[in-house]
Amino acid sequence: MTAVRTVALIAGREVRQRLRSKLFVWTTAVISLLLTVGALVPWLIGSFGADLMSDPTDAVVTIAVVGELDEARVSALESQFGAIELEPVADDAAARAKLDEQDGVDLAIIDGASVLVAPTTGAFPGVGSGRANAAAEALALVDLLEDNGAADIAPGILGITPLPVETVGERDPTERVAGLVVANVGVVFLFGLLMFYASMIVNGIIEEKGSRVVELLVEAVPVRQLMTGKVLGMGIIAIGQATALFAPALLVLLLTYRDLLPPGSGVLVAAAALWFVLGYAFYALLCAGLGALVSRPEEAQAVLTPATMLALVGYFLGFIAIQQPDALWSVIAGWLPPTAPFVMLVRQAVGEPTAVELVGSVVLLLVGIVGAALLTARIYEGGILRVGARVRFGEAWRGSRL
Amino acid sequence: MLEFVDLQRSFGDVVALDGLSFAVAPGELCGFLGPNGAGKTTAMRCAVGVSAPDGGTVTWQGRPIDLATRRRTGYMPEERGLYPKMRVHEQLVYLARLHGMAAADAAASASAWIDRLGLAERAGSTVEELSLGNQQRVQLAAALVHEPELLILDEPFSGLDPLATDVMSEVLRERARAGVAVVFSSHQLDLVEGLCETVAVIANGRLVLGGRVAELTSRGGRRLRIEVAGGTAWTHELPGEAELLAADDAGATVLLPPGEDAGPVLDVARRTGRLLDVHLEQPRLSELFRTAVGNGATPGDEDPT
Repeated sequence: MTAVRTVALIAGREVRQRLRSKLFVWTTAVISLLLTVGALVPWLIGSFGADLMSDPTDAVVTIAVVGELDEARVSALESQFGAIELEPVADDAAARAKLDEQDGVDLAIIDGASVLVAPTTGAFPGVGSGRANAAAEALALVDLLEDNGAADIAPGILGITPLPVETVGERDPTERVAGLVVANVGVVFLFGLLMFYASMIVNGIIEEKGSRVVELLVEAVPVRQLMTGKVLGMGIIAIGQATALFAPALLVLLLTYRDLLPPGSGVLVAAAALWFVLGYAFYALLCAGLGALVSRPEEAQAVLTPATMLALVGYFLGFIAIQQPDALWSVIAGWLPPTAPFVMLVRQAVGEPTAVELVGSVVLLLVGIVGAALLTARIYEGGILRVGARVRFGEAWRGSRL
Repeated sequence: MLEFVDLQRSFGDVVALDGLSFAVAPGELCGFLGPNGAGKTTAMRCAVGVSAPDGGTVTWQGRPIDLATRRRTGYMPEERGLYPKMRVHEQLVYLARLHGMAAADAAASASAWIDRLGLAERAGSTVEELSLGNQQRVQLAAALVHEPELLILDEPFSGLDPLATDVMSEVLRERARAGVAVVFSSHQLDLVEGLCETVAVIANGRLVLGGRVAELTSRGGRRLRIEVAGGTAWTHELPGEAELLAADDAGATVLLPPGEDAGPVLDVARRTGRLLDVHLEQPRLSELFRTAVGNGATPGDEDPT
């Protein structure tokens, strides 16, 4: 039997057992749904608000008219609001009564010289007064142009299409905002997810030690393959669950706000995924080795302290790097495997790492992962079969046959 | 042939194995006996690669036991171990596949052993839902499911009720008849005497008694039990090489060296009074065990060494 098949068997068991847990599946589904709904909230609020505001381009604005409105003024109002409906009323009092009774009238124009509007109420105040101001500006513009003999160009002025605007030089401000969001949220999620899945691995190892099934496994499977299968299986679960949790929400964001998302958002998300995968491999391997030193779940937190401390250092450096993404210490922290996932994610989001720094950081982290695997394999073998009291690091190191 | 050759293992200052050597042939059912801390579990763990000896080797068919051999070995650890939340059939299939079986063969074998061991109705249960006795049966199935050619079982009878003991005994006999080399440790000496063809008794990490049970119990002369009306004063006048082994109110047991005539001993006894009973006795395995490991040693729970 090949090593690949053995590792696949062990990883497959990890995945199947986890997916069989109704709690795991339902928790994932519910959180994913909440995140997706959360991503839709701004859009829902936007739609609701748009209804209230009756976007001038697609809603008919009804205007009570006292006296005559000439063609130039009607055109100016149409340019401002799109479709309008004019409702002639007898006098100022009748117009005020219609507005007061909210009788399907949005505005009133008295003799083309003044605009009336009802006081606004509700969650989105200012809608009516905004229209009134727009109508007043349109009428005043026609007045001005008439005085200068150019009333016929009023609609063209009001319906003007702005020239395209291009930002040059410094980074697009919206892109920087997106970078800050990814950096802040990314560092928090990265730390939380890494620690969560690493502790799941440790719990799995403790289960095997505690139930003594590990003796049966070690009889048939080399220790390195056992450890690799476990880390790989939990990695598939981690990546699968993280995808299930975040992908629908990200997809919704992408589809709903496609025009609003700043350039580079997709690259940042992909970078966050890359640093998560690499960071997971590094920390999961370290935690697997440490987990093999204990036999009881209550000892897990204590034994994981070295790995947790390393991740915490990365977490805090990541946050500090948001302010100084391209400082020398940020560059150095970006090269070091334990801190690279956090710091490089931040540097990519808000800084300007060079291609050499990016590739070099990935390569060094891969080297770190191999080193963690070798260290862990030795500790794992020295500790995995020693049930009972916590095994000291040195004992496990010496007790290994690797 | 499974051979333990000059096996040595220490834990700090504690010597668990001190040059242990013995062998078990294919088709042989060998009882592995010893007092607490004698080194039985350590020796078995060395055989299946769970522990590494400091010196010596364990070989199968003349070659050191490697991963390929271990995958053809059935092992039941002293501390029972299964995934508590995994279903019985699924767990057996998984373990069989880890030992190299194809998926379909593993599923068929798991089903067959589940039926054979009376677990058919619990095949879909998780291990933690089973009684301890049924968990023990699953543990045996886990050792057998990949059709091993070598069985190494640490205390397989521990905690079994009489019916389960019968099932376990029959399965082990059957495997031995099928050509499997079976070695198992136990403290139930009478059970071992009835079940095993051979035994290996160890103390302080060394073999102190080993061989075929029939030969061991008949070795060293005949034991003559004589009961005479009038007491046991006659035992003070034993003729020739005859040796008094034990005496009580009812009579005495005398050891006759091979070839020694029983007549003179009976004549001496008869002078004391009427002969009430005379018969030949064979030593029990438990007596041989006590003699071999020292009178202070008693079977009991093994410690982790």
